[in-house]
Amino acid sequence: MRERLTRALCRMDAVELSSRADTPLHRLDARAKLLATLLFLVAMLSVPLAQLSELLLYALFPLLCAAMGGIRYGDIVRQSLVVLPFVALIGIFNLFYDREAAFRIGTLTVTTGSVSFLSILLRGLLSMQALLVLILGTGFYPLCRGMQRLGIPALFTAQLLFVYRYTYVLIEEAGRMSMARDARSFGRRTYPLPLWGELIGQLLLRTLRRAEAIGRAMAARGFSGRIPDGLRAPDRWQPRDTAFLLGWTLALTLLRLLRPAERFSDWITY
Amino acid sequence: MSHHYLRFDRVHYRYPNGYEALRGVSFEIRHGEKVALVGANGAGKSTLLLHTDGLLLPCEGQVVVGGIALTPRTLPLVRQSVGIVFQDPDNQLFMPTVEEDVAFGPANMGLSPEEIEQRVDAALRAVGAEHLRTAIPSRLSGGQKKSVAIATVLSMQPSVLVLDEPTAALDPRARRQTIELLRRFLHTTLIATHDLEMVAELCDRTLVMHRGELVADGATAQIFRDRELLETCGLEQPVSLRTAPV
Amino acid sequence: MHMSDALISPAVAATAGAVSLILLGTAIRKVGRESRDDTASLPRMGVMGAFVFAAQLINFAIPGTGSSGHLVGGILLATLLGPWAGLLTLASVLFLQCLLFADGGFLALGCNLFNMAVLSCLVAWPTVYRPIAGSGGSPRRVFAAALLAGIAAAVLGALAVTAETELSGITALPWGRFLLFMLPIHLLIGIGEGLATAAVLAAVRRYRPELLNGPQHAGPSRRGVRRLLPIIVATLLVAGTFSWIASSDPDGLEWSIEQVAGTSELPAGSDAPHRTAAVIQERTALLPDYGTSFAGIVGSGLLLAVAFGASLFIRVGRRQS
Repeated sequence: MRERLTRALCRMDAVELSSRADTPLHRLDARAKLLATLLFLVAMLSVPLAQLSELLLYALFPLLCAAMGGIRYGDIVRQSLVVLPFVALIGIFNLFYDREAAFRIGTLTVTTGSVSFLSILLRGLLSMQALLVLILGTGFYPLCRGMQRLGIPALFTAQLLFVYRYTYVLIEEAGRMSMARDARSFGRRTYPLPLWGELIGQLLLRTLRRAEAIGRAMAARGFSGRIPDGLRAPDRWQPRDTAFLLGWTLALTLLRLLRPAERFSDWITY
Repeated sequence: MSHHYLRFDRVHYRYPNGYEALRGVSFEIRHGEKVALVGANGAGKSTLLLHTDGLLLPCEGQVVVGGIALTPRTLPLVRQSVGIVFQDPDNQLFMPTVEEDVAFGPANMGLSPEEIEQRVDAALRAVGAEHLRTAIPSRLSGGQKKSVAIATVLSMQPSVLVLDEPTAALDPRARRQTIELLRRFLHTTLIATHDLEMVAELCDRTLVMHRGELVADGATAQIFRDRELLETCGLEQPVSLRTAPV
Repeated sequence: MHMSDALISPAVAATAGAVSLILLGTAIRKVGRESRDDTASLPRMGVMGAFVFAAQLINFAIPGTGSSGHLVGGILLATLLGPWAGLLTLASVLFLQCLLFADGGFLALGCNLFNMAVLSCLVAWPTVYRPIAGSGGSPRRVFAAALLAGIAAAVLGALAVTAETELSGITALPWGRFLLFMLPIHLLIGIGEGLATAAVLAAVRRYRPELLNGPQHAGPSRRGVRRLLPIIVATLLVAGTFSWIASSDPDGLEWSIEQVAGTSELPAGSDAPHRTAAVIQERTALLPDYGTSFAGIVGSGLLLAVAFGASLFIRVGRRQS
């Protein structure tokens, strides 16, 4: 049980640490990276399931961005694998329901269903990879500020940062509480429901007490209902941000419209 | 009349559930004094501290800060002159980065960005935490959290500094640093604590609370010699005084 | 259950995103107005979000099944904070999970907000939990309300996941079978969620009963719903029409490509190696118009391998410099 809690903390630390690196990707404005990722997702996810060969080319986005940010692509791929079980669970039906033959490799006939199944898996992996590169190449805090400058209300980003801040505190607290429980039971992975309810209930009550204490600390420093904005003047949008966003817009648009993979193979084979 | 001045006048406080936490507490603290507030758990120390900043308002009696009586109307004014450092720094450091947290108070006071910037610098320098400026609070050690929590209050440039258990849960070195820090401050200071060794080092004057009442108010040395008093109030004479000649 | 980017089309993502963001915007406005009078509400929502996040990491055994579940939290948050603040808080948790752990996905965030936060806080809570629990709420009624609302939220979520996946044209599974597949799983999840919510509320009742019948339980008012309804219906209509057109005319894009690239069928060459290749192509391709061929996959794979090699080279070069 505590394993999971520790793993979550480690993961948050890893993001925090990685986002402090200084690479061309990290130096970009969070907004440029957010928008480019969004554009990538729209382009990639609008590729029809039948076009597996085109879809493969979209791996260039996470691959090149990771290289730009000094992030090991192998790690990104490994982390993105967690998306597979859920996606496969839904996609697997295409194997059985869609059995028309698409093409043949030697004596092996590949069905359209298996192509679309692979496409679904690839969509899952690629979207996850793009998001991971965005996170590791930006960091949670700049992402929130970036979203705020893209129009998300300050109240909501303040809430996000609040949750982020206290997730550390509460995971540690939950860890201490479950350690006290585990010391009295055997190291089990789940709790029976009544015990779980008691544990989580206690955590909730402590949480509410903490909320009151924080409210007092805020009031003592003159809080009147509005969280002041970030202290620093936000980073200016640089020419390199325009270049990054424009470059990917162009590349993704061309990739999406021209379907180079099949064209290329046609050109070779004819 | 000096602004560095805190007075409790027969303050009574009853919690909504009926528990009487303060029963007619009166004292005054003069400019520049460092005063300790000691007593067993549940004696009413924390309730008293919450009154210095108007986080609780007395049911009877009144609290006067710098000549201004605390009422709902004078709250914003008083909160600028009293700075409370709470026991658990995690509850005090709620902003995403250290500098934003230190800037939180000044920003609420409506100061200009340049002024805020200056105050953040000065406050972090005062606690020796300039290097932590862009750190995120969850990655700080206990001692660092405590220093930064003090900075978040210093940036409001309060006249009176109120601290709840400043040395609780700190390792010996962090405790020592915190004590040295407090020693350097010239603020009027009120410290609620169980750490009587620290009191003996820092405070010339001590208030003793017992079951919601102020049972003693006097020179620290004198109070710490009164074993009977300490015992009835659930306290223990500091080791450093035990071997001293009576 | 987090919806994944892999299972939705951009049109569906945009629709769900628009609906969720409109409702989230409403929640932000309402909560912002309240927090001016009640400064304690901001830290409470923030810490409660962190609580749900932490609580979701601790699993419990679902009785009699051998499987385990975790809290989603919508019903619990709506009960303790009110539906709008609950929506806002749960939304922040989903945002955080997306931006920190890449859970679900960025484009699917709108769907996830809708499936998990909107349906539980704004639909299941006011229509199931509140009427059953009543104002005072005996322990038995609170238990029944939590259990049924949990199930309702999960089943609604399952319906939404099914609809989103089907409308996106991702699965070859017909609607009915897909539902038959999703509903039992989500029924189980819902029972887990309901029991978990009831267990936590029982603990709250024991130690802080005043939290269960606080005054803050003003749900979405009838008038508010009536004002929002047209906007949501209009969004759904526009987006539905849009995705219908997009899916019924899949060649629309191809048509525009032909405009851009001249022609899509390039003339075949006549020299010998090309002719051999053409024979291979004909032999391997059973559906000549199908969007993917073996050669295409191999070509893309090679290109990626080259790019990957280049990126390694760049990294090694940087390390040495």
